[in-house]
Amino acid sequence: MILSDVLRSRVLDDEGRSVGIVIDARFVLDGVPHGPLADARLVGFIVSPHTGSSFLGYERHDDGRPALIARVLRWHHRGSFLVHWEDIARLDETRVILRPGYRRISPALLGAQRR
Amino acid sequence: MTRRSKRFDAPLPVLEPAEQYAGQVLDARLHLLDRQVLDRDGVPVQVVDDLELSDVPFGESIPSETPAPVIESILSGPVLGTRIFGGRPPSSRFHRVSWDRIAEIGIAIHLGVAGSTLDVTWVERWVRDRIISRIPGGHHDPE
Repeated sequence: MILSDVLRSRVLDDEGRSVGIVIDARFVLDGVPHGPLADARLVGFIVSPHTGSSFLGYERHDDGRPALIARVLRWHHRGSFLVHWEDIARLDETRVILRPGYRRISPALLGAQRR
Repeated sequence: MTRRSKRFDAPLPVLEPAEQYAGQVLDARLHLLDRQVLDRDGVPVQVVDDLELSDVPFGESIPSETPAPVIESILSGPVLGTRIFGGRPPSSRFHRVSWDRIAEIGIAIHLGVAGSTLDVTWVERWVRDRIISRIPGGHHDPE
């Protein structure tokens, strides 16, 4: 699967209601080591209720500079959330469908996770 | 009901707290896509245009116990047009660098191999061998 097939897809809940657009995919290096790095496992997708764009990730960290850009971008991505791979019921070319009772998790990057 | 609330009409519950992970976290657009890739000697070889993941059910229901996909390769290809007009190039047009050849991920992505061993640099090698080498003085560094 090519990642860009999923980015910018519409995300629907189990009742067919739109909850946003996939703006990013989160991976964590905790899989089986192959070569110098461990496998990068897909944790889930970051979903924005308002836009399909993603720029500088201000909605995922607390950097406040430059103040005007930070405020505008954070407002633009308000309500963004991380949905786990385990909560994905179906992927196709234009949409991602979630399982009933899916969890909305803060997409924030904590401490050393930011770079 | 407003136009916006028709498009995104699901209620917005409170988010669960952010998670801490054991390994390095990589958000694809934030940490990987469009990053410069350097070979083991620090020579730029490509940028990351896309990622190839291990196979998962696509266009059909995903069984609940399906393991999460992993990144198999970083891809480089002719994406300028598709970024402007939408879509993506055919899978066969991408050059692939296997994930196990990546040594470190930071501001740039560092490979553990020489760039001359990668398919993505074939144009550069072809120009060097077929054109530059036939120019007088083209066989050695400038003095």
